[in-house]
Amino acid sequence: MGAPDGGRLSPSAQPTGRRVDPPTTLEVERMSVSYGDRPALEGVSFELTGGTFAGVLGPNGAGKTTLLRALLGAIPAIGRVALHGRAAYVPQLTSVSEAFPVDALGVVLMGRYPLLGWRRRPGRSDRRLAGELLAEVGLADRARSPFGSLSGGQRQRVLMARALAQEGDVLLLDEPLTGIDAPSQQTILGVIGAQRAQGRTVVMTTHDLAQAARECDRLLLLNRTLVADGTAEEVLRSEVLGRAYETEVVLLDGRAALIDEGAHHHPPMRPGGLA
Amino acid sequence: MFAPFDVPYMQSALFAGLLIAVPCGLLGVWVVLRGLAFFSHAVGVATFPGVVIGLGVPAIGPFAGSLLAAGAFGAAVSSVENDHRVRGGAVTGLALAAAMATGAVLLTTVARVSTPVETVLFGSLLGISDTDIVRCAVVAALTLAALPLLWARLSASTFDRAWAAPAGARPQRTDVLLLTLLGFTVVTALPAVGSLMVSGLLVIPAATARLLCERLATLSVCAVALCAAEVVIGLAAARELDVAPGASIAALGGVGFALAAAVSAARSGWARRTVAA
Repeated sequence: MGAPDGGRLSPSAQPTGRRVDPPTTLEVERMSVSYGDRPALEGVSFELTGGTFAGVLGPNGAGKTTLLRALLGAIPAIGRVALHGRAAYVPQLTSVSEAFPVDALGVVLMGRYPLLGWRRRPGRSDRRLAGELLAEVGLADRARSPFGSLSGGQRQRVLMARALAQEGDVLLLDEPLTGIDAPSQQTILGVIGAQRAQGRTVVMTTHDLAQAARECDRLLLLNRTLVADGTAEEVLRSEVLGRAYETEVVLLDGRAALIDEGAHHHPPMRPGGLA
Repeated sequence: MFAPFDVPYMQSALFAGLLIAVPCGLLGVWVVLRGLAFFSHAVGVATFPGVVIGLGVPAIGPFAGSLLAAGAFGAAVSSVENDHRVRGGAVTGLALAAAMATGAVLLTTVARVSTPVETVLFGSLLGISDTDIVRCAVVAALTLAALPLLWARLSASTFDRAWAAPAGARPQRTDVLLLTLLGFTVVTALPAVGSLMVSGLLVIPAATARLLCERLATLSVCAVALCAAEVVIGLAAARELDVAPGASIAALGGVGFALAAAVSAARSGWARRTVAA
């Protein structure tokens, strides 16, 4: 699954007019993480290439956030984690202190500090870039608004712009679409699309299986171990989902109902035996 | 207006007070933003037994005694506070009560101390030595030198710690540096305001400023200015009314906070009416 071996960039061997195979940006081999004596992730292996949009699925407590934080090096992991290039990160919106006195532009400028070295003040070019990134997430007119005065969707878009300011090669997004309105979701998905077009790798955790099936080209299904890894067709099957969610999961109309969720009023997935 | 400061001891108190207003205001902002108000009040109270021991054993002295007590308190509380079962200030409250009790017991039994207990708890206009002024100046200079270097790390890790740690802000090291500066500031402010009233300079001005300012830079300047104003008026009032300066400063701060809360409530009420119209 994933990139075939030898799929690395070798431009000289490519005939003209053919797409060059994207480089591998993320390699994870038999990675395990534990909190004290409680294992959170065990023996997780996968590889991602540039331009991939991977969705990380799984029940609460499956280790989705833990996976992102281990990829960032924020928590110790055993096994091999190789992230080629820089990482950029959007944690869950709930991790933010909304009372902190900072405006939207100030939050985006924080994204420049890892590149500036934490002691240099952001300069004119950093401020211009931050302004452009706010415009990219549709908030050009809210640059001077206090972060705490913004709506949930706007806050999430500001955090997205902060991650873009980090100029990462791999974007790790923890539930960036959860609990926000549809226009904000569309803006964020548009930004993700633009990042992929520039060869960036995007990894996103989510609970929305239908949305992940529509938007992602790769799905990683977690429940402490990597239960399944592949395309929506391969992963979103009831017997596979059942193993991850540890309950019977029945998809109405099989996978088709999931993919076409927008066209129907049926919920795409119901627990229990509603076949 | 300046008649209260026409004697040398009042001038010493004023110098020391204005100098300590700088670190109190600046660090107070981070105390308020990080929810450390109760903790920093407890650090002040925790110095009480240290001061008593320092007064009783001249070889130690009240400054070293209170510094040791503040350090021991900080280390003890931070070593257990990560246990989620006792989060939310339980450990801080417990250690605060223990420190208060230890100080009271030491004061009446072991230490033969001539200094009245009110002076230790609420400060004194008469107790400010030249050494105290120098200490205040050193702590003010240290804070002014350290804060610009820590500014980005403090901001990022206060706003979003989950992001700041992997982004390289080293939040834990930043915490230790902030708490160390805080400890020195508290101990240095003690002779003027006393163990119980440190919050009057450290928490109240910054909390008041937070009600009035939306930007970190203006918030910091405003907190220092309010702190300095509290010092000047509070010291003058202490002399005129013959009360302990820690008490007059904290009372004044409380009045200032109430006024700011009223102003901010009136402001948001006005804003709502404007929107509705």
